[in-house]
Amino acid sequence: MLRNLRMGISSLFQKAQRNREMDEELRGYVEAAAADNMSRGMTAEEALRNAKVEMGSTESVKHGVWSAGWESTAHSIWMDLRYGARQLAKTPLFTIVCVLTLALGIGANTAVFSVMNAVLLRSLPVADPQRVVYLNTSSPPHRTGTVDSHETFSYPVYDAIRQQHGALTDVIAYVPLSTGKVAVRFGAQPEEANGDMVSGNFFSGLGVKVIRGRGFSTEDESSHAPVAVISYNFWTRRFARNPDAVGKTVFVKGISFTIIGVAAEGFEGVEAGRSTDFWIPLQDRPELNAWGNPPWDGKTYMSQPIWWCLRMLGRLAPGVTTAQAIAQLQLTFQNAAYVGLGNPEPGEKRPTLGFGEAKSFPGYDEQYGKPLRMLMAMVGLVLLIAFSNVVMLLIARNSNRRREFSLRLALGAGRGKFFRQLLTESLLLVALGGGLAWLFAIWATKALGFWAQIETSLAPDGIVLYFTLSILILAALLFGLAPLRSALAVQPGLVLKASSATSNTDVGKSRSGKVIVALQMALCVVLLVGGALLVRTFRNLKNVSLGMRTDGLVVFGVNPQNLHSRTEALAFYEELIRRLRVLPGVDSVTVMESRLGSWWSNNRNAIVDGKPPIVAGGGSGLTRSNVVGPDFFHTIGVPVLVGRDFSDSDTATSPHVAVVNELFAERFLPNQSPLGHHVMGDDGKTENVIVGVVKNHKYRSIDEEPIPMSWSAYTQDGDVAELHVEMRVHGDPLAILPAAQKVVQQMDPNLPLLQPMTQREQFETTISQQSLFARLAGFFGSLAVLLVATGLYGTLAYRVNNRTVEIGVRMALGARRSQVVWSVLRDSLVLTAIGVAIGIPIAVVVAKLLSSALFGVQPYDALSYSVATCSVLLVAVLASLLPARTASSVDPWTALRSD
Amino acid sequence: MPDKNSDLVQGTLEMLILKTLVLEPMHGYGIALRIEQISKGVFRVNAGSLFPALSRMERAGRIQAEWRATENNRRAKYYVLTDSGRKALKDETKLWGRQIAAISRILEA
Repeated sequence: MLRNLRMGISSLFQKAQRNREMDEELRGYVEAAAADNMSRGMTAEEALRNAKVEMGSTESVKHGVWSAGWESTAHSIWMDLRYGARQLAKTPLFTIVCVLTLALGIGANTAVFSVMNAVLLRSLPVADPQRVVYLNTSSPPHRTGTVDSHETFSYPVYDAIRQQHGALTDVIAYVPLSTGKVAVRFGAQPEEANGDMVSGNFFSGLGVKVIRGRGFSTEDESSHAPVAVISYNFWTRRFARNPDAVGKTVFVKGISFTIIGVAAEGFEGVEAGRSTDFWIPLQDRPELNAWGNPPWDGKTYMSQPIWWCLRMLGRLAPGVTTAQAIAQLQLTFQNAAYVGLGNPEPGEKRPTLGFGEAKSFPGYDEQYGKPLRMLMAMVGLVLLIAFSNVVMLLIARNSNRRREFSLRLALGAGRGKFFRQLLTESLLLVALGGGLAWLFAIWATKALGFWAQIETSLAPDGIVLYFTLSILILAALLFGLAPLRSALAVQPGLVLKASSATSNTDVGKSRSGKVIVALQMALCVVLLVGGALLVRTFRNLKNVSLGMRTDGLVVFGVNPQNLHSRTEALAFYEELIRRLRVLPGVDSVTVMESRLGSWWSNNRNAIVDGKPPIVAGGGSGLTRSNVVGPDFFHTIGVPVLVGRDFSDSDTATSPHVAVVNELFAERFLPNQSPLGHHVMGDDGKTENVIVGVVKNHKYRSIDEEPIPMSWSAYTQDGDVAELHVEMRVHGDPLAILPAAQKVVQQMDPNLPLLQPMTQREQFETTISQQSLFARLAGFFGSLAVLLVATGLYGTLAYRVNNRTVEIGVRMALGARRSQVVWSVLRDSLVLTAIGVAIGIPIAVVVAKLLSSALFGVQPYDALSYSVATCSVLLVAVLASLLPARTASSVDPWTALRSD
Repeated sequence: MPDKNSDLVQGTLEMLILKTLVLEPMHGYGIALRIEQISKGVFRVNAGSLFPALSRMERAGRIQAEWRATENNRRAKYYVLTDSGRKALKDETKLWGRQIAAISRILEA
């Protein structure tokens, strides 16, 4: 076997020497035969002639020997490849267009599929993920507080379910330390990181390896051990994979933990959409309450049974089905659900436990599922256009090569050889395009992940590679087979009897070409309409007035630790505001509880003057509220219409005050001055006097509808835990951050600035998805137009080229230039009209599917449809005009003499 | 001597070549001549099938080729049987014997 390979290779590379040896051996053979013949009495001349005749052609003997080895097959494949490469190099424009078309089409598909794979299809990187389930509930019981109404549980529920053995071998609880990032410190410099508190069996139960040090144990959980495991990513990013990281001390919100391990590479936690940097065992101290909340009635998540805040995972016991496990646990769950509540309220439906597959991360599907599938459909269309383009170009090209094929057939080439040749050429094209596509996809995937703010690793994996390879194989076969029909229909006699002009006309081919062009036009219209609608949506969102002046505004969070009373917290923030105000370049400073433009809000039914207001026409009584600092409206640039802004004189001991917006006043206090009326405070206990009315402005997000709002002063209302500082500065708002950080650190060395950014950026995060998809849709729409344009140009140029003689005859007979141009143009205009006629109805259907993603634009938006139609028309005219001009400039005599 | 040399059954040529090489190393023409002589002219091996067969067998490691001087002092490529070639000959001869016996039984039945 090995010898065979070695000898084959040596014969491949030492062909000349092999040849010489063969010649010598055969010469010897002939001489020996001649000598033998002479010994039988022939003359020397006769003997030699006889011997030569007997052996036949030396070349054919040599060929026989050559074909006996495998290397001859390898050699002929190599020759095919070289011939194919030469053919492709002969038509560089064709090759470049094909390769780029394939690279863009396949690359875009690979990139989107790779995101989809990572976000929607990939399993959790845990051992035996099919046996792992997310626990969920139909609803939490009434009178409880929740973080997520389906996916979070109270501590007593966790405790009860883990006591039940049999159904689940492991019950794993986990909860973030903050809604965002949490303050950590290794040395002097505070930082922020994503951290979760987890049960002791987190790593062992999930089957996630800890590659350095150790994971947690159940004792770590019960003793609330001050230990931490960091993720591989964090280890890489923060410690450059220094083994000394294990054993280091990390201060989480100022409390010291020892790093005891590093989790396996690829495991980024079980939180949707973000990668966890470190884990600590479940803790029981008020500073480290779940979600970074202050204790509720003085109780942390462990002692407050009515706070449903823990997420849970379970591993099914061997041989137990999902249904059996739920049935076994249901009663335990329903009993534990009412710990701390007593009996269910009359008419209240008891919550039911359910399991969700841990196939993908919870929440990903709702968040990214629809847009991603939409995007996948879009790039699928682009791929379709790209493929049909290449097929058309190949058909056109190979029709031009029919004389070459015919000549080769006449010279004795087999049809099997043709087939191999065409397949080799398409394979070369596909390989080039595919290689480029992979590079493009790797880059595009990174860009997509960055734009969509997905922290989970999106890098293409094995599944994506299979996906791309199968597209490539499909493409290679398609491109090899499509031109084969015309190649095989060639007769060897063709070259002898037909001229170049007539041999290239083929009515049937150009008809199928027309159908493809019309369909491409239709697809192009669909993509363009979709793209235009999304781009218009994005522009509408971008131009929405926020009702405030965001330029010059910068925002960051501060979460002070070790403050033991409300008085201390107030003192901290008063001091902070005072110190920030005197920084150079600062115009004004304020604080707020819910950060503007971050989706967070406090919602409830309004209580005005001690009772729910009567709303005219039975409208909603819902109101949102926020707790803010002095000069709040002045700082964010919202005009005060009546009364006054909050000020430093609103202290804990002064009369409790509130500000409401216009809509609040109109809806709940119509036809009267709102000043002096009372509104319920944020804590649901205090009554605040309205002292001002401000203009409506955006609160949670850019695309929200106006809603009645009220504000109270942080000195008089709310928890005063983590607050967000808003600063208006002159010049670049971000330039103030180092100075601000210094101020904060002087007050507490453990505190980083949490998620610092400009207020504008903060608001734009609420339309990041729309902006991402608008950009992508615009990009893919343009890509489709570009592809259709090249395809159309290629086909038309080819058809016009074939009609050179016909056009020459026409012009010789007196046809005018304009008539010739028009005849070419008319062709493509008819195709465009058909394409648009097919495309518009499809686009209407697609736009209706899109309607939930649109903002400020109707699915039947005339402008978008006109833009799409005009673009397609423009492309068609431009792509036809060039070949048409070439055709009309044909000199009749040259045309007639051309063959 | 028949007009046309009888076609050899597929695969038997290699066996015959192995057999001729048992006694001594030979060059290409020598092999062809020996086969023709021993078969009394029934099988005449032409160069077009001899050399590819030799090349295949060399690849398979049944024979080895080396350049040597001939009796009249010319350089020629001699083929030498290897151990694996000897073994192959034994196996093939056994198989052939069984096949021949079976075929004669069928023809005589």
